[in-house]
Amino acid sequence: MTKYQATIQSVGELAGEFIAEGILVFFATNAPEELQETALVHDCTSEPAAPVQPGDFVRLDQHAYEVLAVGKVANENLKNLGHLVLKFNGLKEPEMDGDVTLPAVPVPDLGPGSTLIIEDR
Amino acid sequence: MGLWDSMKKALVGSAPEQTTTAKPASSPESNNQPVAPSAQPGEGFKACRIEQGTKGWGGPLVIAPNKTRRLVYSVTGGGIHPVAQKIAELTGAEPFDGFKSKADFSEIAVAVIDCGGTARVGVYPMKGVLTVDVHGATPSGPLMKYINEQNFVSGVKPENVHPVE
Repeated sequence: MTKYQATIQSVGELAGEFIAEGILVFFATNAPEELQETALVHDCTSEPAAPVQPGDFVRLDQHAYEVLAVGKVANENLKNLGHLVLKFNGLKEPEMDGDVTLPAVPVPDLGPGSTLIIEDR
Repeated sequence: MGLWDSMKKALVGSAPEQTTTAKPASSPESNNQPVAPSAQPGEGFKACRIEQGTKGWGGPLVIAPNKTRRLVYSVTGGGIHPVAQKIAELTGAEPFDGFKSKADFSEIAVAVIDCGGTARVGVYPMKGVLTVDVHGATPSGPLMKYINEQNFVSGVKPENVHPVE
């Protein structure tokens, strides 16, 4: 089942600083401008169909990554704000409450038109 | 205090190339210098003191709104957060939903966020805005170089917001 689907509209000017640390920050187009600066800005303002859980898959364009851990406020962020923090750090325990962790692999190159899909297995 | 300061220095010092290669743009109207707000509220306003809560970090902050910095900017899911509401009630500042309307940073007395620790924690300190996180986050991520105990406090619940007489 697809839990969440979004298309990236723009890339904020500070997003590169996060990407350099293995972090992808997402906000929806309805977020304040100063938050869009940090983020890949996407078009999905509807709630996820179901909460994101470890074992789900995050698809970014043609790449798929297994979700290792979900911080305790990550689903709240996604539901209320279209906000998601993906960390490519391989951690099975999230460092921060907002984190969704993925394997420690290089961050894919994404831009306007790229897709984000979260689905269960 | 001393331990945190030295840890921050060590961490900030470990990534100096980021400040030179990817210098964040500053908006012309915002003050990117560390905020040194007056502890004296403007006429018709009162000050409040905000302490860190359980698993919190930073602070305490004194919020002293005035005619210019008159907004309690709530950038939280689901409208004005109870912490923002309490700050507004104690100080006479105006609660403001950052997801519904747009405000200039120079109008913001304090930003209230519900950040899980990576993105929003740094954005408002970077813009020169005092920041209150209702989650118990310790700063992380590339923007942590902008965060210090004088501009950020976390883990805050309504009971951590006190009037200043």
